[in-house]
Amino acid sequence: MGKVKKKHPLVDAKRPNLLEDIFPYSMPPRIRLEGSAIEYIDGEPVEFDFGAVKGRPILISDTTFRDGQQARPPYTIEQMVKIYDLMSKLSGPNGVIRQTEFFLYTKNDRETLERCQALGHMYPECTGWIRAVKGDFRLVKEAGLKETGMLTSCSDYHIFHKLKFRSRKECIDSYCEVVEAAFEAGVRPRCHLEDLTRADIEGFVLPFVDRLMEMSRQVPEELSVKIRLCDTMGYGVSYPNAELPRSIPKLIYKLNRECGVPSDRLEWHGHNDFHKVHVNAATAWLYGCDFINTTLFGFGERTGNPPLEGAIFEYIALKGDLCGIDTMAITELADYMRSIGLPIPDNFPFAGRAFNTTRAGIHAGGLRQDEQIYNIFDTAALLGRPPRVAITDKSGADGVAHWLNEFFGLKADDRISKIRVHKLARWVIDQYDVEGRLTAISDQELEVKAEELYPDYWEKYKS
Amino acid sequence: MATVEERVKAVTANILKLNIDEIKIDDNFTADLGAESVQSIELVAMFEEEFNIEMDEDAALSVETVGDAVEFITAVCKEQGVDIEE
Repeated sequence: MGKVKKKHPLVDAKRPNLLEDIFPYSMPPRIRLEGSAIEYIDGEPVEFDFGAVKGRPILISDTTFRDGQQARPPYTIEQMVKIYDLMSKLSGPNGVIRQTEFFLYTKNDRETLERCQALGHMYPECTGWIRAVKGDFRLVKEAGLKETGMLTSCSDYHIFHKLKFRSRKECIDSYCEVVEAAFEAGVRPRCHLEDLTRADIEGFVLPFVDRLMEMSRQVPEELSVKIRLCDTMGYGVSYPNAELPRSIPKLIYKLNRECGVPSDRLEWHGHNDFHKVHVNAATAWLYGCDFINTTLFGFGERTGNPPLEGAIFEYIALKGDLCGIDTMAITELADYMRSIGLPIPDNFPFAGRAFNTTRAGIHAGGLRQDEQIYNIFDTAALLGRPPRVAITDKSGADGVAHWLNEFFGLKADDRISKIRVHKLARWVIDQYDVEGRLTAISDQELEVKAEELYPDYWEKYKS
Repeated sequence: MATVEERVKAVTANILKLNIDEIKIDDNFTADLGAESVQSIELVAMFEEEFNIEMDEDAALSVETVGDAVEFITAVCKEQGVDIEE
């Protein structure tokens, strides 16, 4: 058995301490960070001030129409305009979702961009996405965009096997020619360091970024190069003391403090191949990268990208404030995306049909007494989604009572007691024990039974 | 009129699908008679219907044995002015 290092006396209490400064319920729970984190880089301890994140201008960018669309059949113009409009509503007047990027290659791409711009929203700002081809800047200029992303793949897998360069020098020279073309066109280039987490950082990435920074010093600030750190294969690791090229803290340190790329010109772009996508993005924020790049509901290439709505709640948790964000737009977006065929899993956080639906009777019992026991925050106020119970053989009378009270909209003393729901609870149990049912019972089925078994309530609250 | 004990046993036998003669005064509804969660709710609801009384939900559901139920229901009947045969 381990040695006792410190005794911990019970702090007895007659009243609960609900830790409401961290879990205010009317807001998502706060993430409060104390002091600094230490990362050993090149053998030396380096300090990162996590507490500073509350005051730093961290922001979200979006790639729903680019990476998010590459993984599915194309959206129609109308669909993209609608999504952009709702995304702007979600972003709010402070532009927490600061930018979103568009393809520019087809007539439909360009018409979509024009119609989004015509809505007159300040945020998200529209940016472009092009290949690293000099002639493509004409498209960016014609679209009236100030910034565009461009592919600057940086692992040797891409440099030699995909792009067939004969040497790293040839590759860098080629990329820099395109960056020069962007400057000449008056467009800010955002260099997407594709496959960064599988690249030779010291041998290729840092020399390339050094050169980009040198080039940026020759142009006005508004044209200076931005860097997108692309974790193309989801290899990025957030843990302290992981090695390069997978270490997110070290990657950001090298670019930010060694190459001198300011935090507001660094952006993290992740993928979810190892289930790390959201926390990796949030980690990038903490270590000095101001932008994290996301897609709605995480939908994107292969396993997807950091979910935009997850970043929104992380942002609120870190800032301790809504900052003008209209969280209700998340539900509008989810409903709209479902209506046009985007599959959002039922248990997907914040947006799935059942994200705050409990099935276990013992949890439903807790919900019936006080919804805060099993609801993450006031989901009715922030998302228009009160907690619910799904009725199965595990729901028990508590679950059935919760469902019935929600259905009739009964509050406080008007709520139907567990004893009064025994007929409906019996019907539910018999569905499984007698009828051999294996699926959850739908709201529609329960509504029919509610009308049959509780005609007085139906008459009063539903007719 | 049947006694409270006889009526409690009759309701219990009906809900739990038991022979009334198998039910003893000391039997625990759950451990001895096999009452499941929903059946406990049904027992309370049927006791209310049988005796024409209203019981406090939490107090009623905390009753564990047949004898305790007889005692609890007797007290509630007296409190609510319901005639019973003890």
